[in-house]
Amino acid sequence: MSTTMPTSRQRRLRTWAFWAVPVLLLLTPLATNAYTQFIINGMLISILVTLGFTLVIGNLGQLAFANTAFFGIGAYASAILSAKLGLPWIMTIPLAGALGALGGFLASSAALRGIRSYYLAIITLAFGELMRWAYLHTKPLTGGTDGLPLPRETMFGISLSDDTLKFYIFLAVTVVLVKATLNLLRSRFGRAVMAVRENEVATASLAIPTARVILTTFIWSGFVVGCAGALFARHVGHVFPESFGMLHLIASFAMVLVGGLGSVLGAVLGAVVLTALPEYLRAFPGMEELFFGLIVAAVLVAMPLGLASLLRRLSPIFVERYYREES
Amino acid sequence: MTELLHVNGLSVRFSGLTALDDVSFTLQEGAVRAVIGPNGAGKSTLFNAISGYVTPTSGTVHLKGQELTKLTPHEIAEQGVRRTFQNGGLFPELTVLENVLTGLHAQIEGSFLDILLGRSKALKSEAENIHRARELLKLMSMDHMADTRAGDLSGGQQRIVEIVRTVASDPPVLLLDEPAVGLSPVARAQMMEIIHRLAGEKGVGILLIEHAVELVMAAADRILVMAAGARIAEGTPEEIREDRAVLEAYLGHS
Repeated sequence: MSTTMPTSRQRRLRTWAFWAVPVLLLLTPLATNAYTQFIINGMLISILVTLGFTLVIGNLGQLAFANTAFFGIGAYASAILSAKLGLPWIMTIPLAGALGALGGFLASSAALRGIRSYYLAIITLAFGELMRWAYLHTKPLTGGTDGLPLPRETMFGISLSDDTLKFYIFLAVTVVLVKATLNLLRSRFGRAVMAVRENEVATASLAIPTARVILTTFIWSGFVVGCAGALFARHVGHVFPESFGMLHLIASFAMVLVGGLGSVLGAVLGAVVLTALPEYLRAFPGMEELFFGLIVAAVLVAMPLGLASLLRRLSPIFVERYYREES
Repeated sequence: MTELLHVNGLSVRFSGLTALDDVSFTLQEGAVRAVIGPNGAGKSTLFNAISGYVTPTSGTVHLKGQELTKLTPHEIAEQGVRRTFQNGGLFPELTVLENVLTGLHAQIEGSFLDILLGRSKALKSEAENIHRARELLKLMSMDHMADTRAGDLSGGQQRIVEIVRTVASDPPVLLLDEPAVGLSPVARAQMMEIIHRLAGEKGVGILLIEHAVELVMAAADRILVMAAGARIAEGTPEEIREDRAVLEAYLGHS
């Protein structure tokens, strides 16, 4: 079945819609209390974590589970650079991204050595656990089990413990990284990523350097998730090794799947819905995990292609394509 | 007629098994050369060795005098030797237009950073190549299917899109691996027409693996017959039809 494509009018509408969301979000601090603001800040971080994850497992189609490792590397990089070197936190964001990218490079080197599918899954899981071991056993640097608190800091005369200030910074970082990722996907690079997933052998026959495509995707994924780690460090104010274990990985994986594998829109939806859901389930004490699990399972059974597929059925402006008509 | 491809003494051995045994031939501009032979004759190994998917044990491949033998598949494709795949090489989840655009990957300008930042240089080249891809689809009367998922096309349409994608960058040499397999008689005739046009009008040198005898006889200028990895005969379709060695290879000794 062929999908109807957006007309040029709908494409303009889509551009408007894309920018309207963050612009409207600028107003949220007026309408929320401190607690809700904290949850929304967490959503922005989850959007980036899910985006980086879906790029590798959804778009590139590599069964790599080093995403939480990239996240932890970014968070610890930000905390260490702030606490030990006294760098302003805002400056640690790109550096945390760069170290996350290095993590991505390491994970891709396994894939490029021909370690694929289940073998890649297990080796990247081991990478994540190894990083957690490193946080625990380099006490002078990371604080070990006690974790590492971020120093008090102000920006524009406002304390960085202020959730409204953090919200605006997180929103800016998220919008920039989501937009940059969309630029990548809607180009020859995005098509090459998808082509590698669909048929790697045929991709090489089209003069596409597949190894470089795999490497670059992992590096960009690591960068996005590493930046998210820096945001997370400031979000919670104190990084602990337990934040970067299997539980985080499984939660991110659920966000990827509930939103829709390999979809940017899906990464946003999955992160928002699964961050908000536990808050609504607080009305059922003792049953939260049960309901959470049931709801995730129900969504996946009803919509194997995730929440994004629901929106695609509603309007062609939600159809994601790997080229960009307007210039 | 300029010589495009020069294959000289190409051999591929896998631990004792000789898959390709000292095969040599040349391919001229605008020529269609068919490679035929029973199953296991080494036709696919020949294609894989030329396109870099299998490393030859010995022998060389040159394109317009430049050696390709040591290059990787994507480098060989960039030099201008492009191929299709027997079992279909389309990307089913991408649209027809996106598939054709993957064939133009190396033609699109702009670095990773240009793309990331959405710089006009990258966007302009992208727009130009989208236009080009649409024109190519129009030539094959496929433009109305540009936004269809490639996996939803019929078998014949998929083969045509794969060829459009493969020749989008105007490569001088094209390797077609069984382009007519599984096609209806109508789609076969269309495939013949496409092969004639590519060779006749654009001067593409075409190397063709095909089992459909009538297509081979009608499309090829010269035929290379292989058996057990080696060349057993070579000549025009008329010469091959009369060749004793060919009859024996196909029908066995009588």
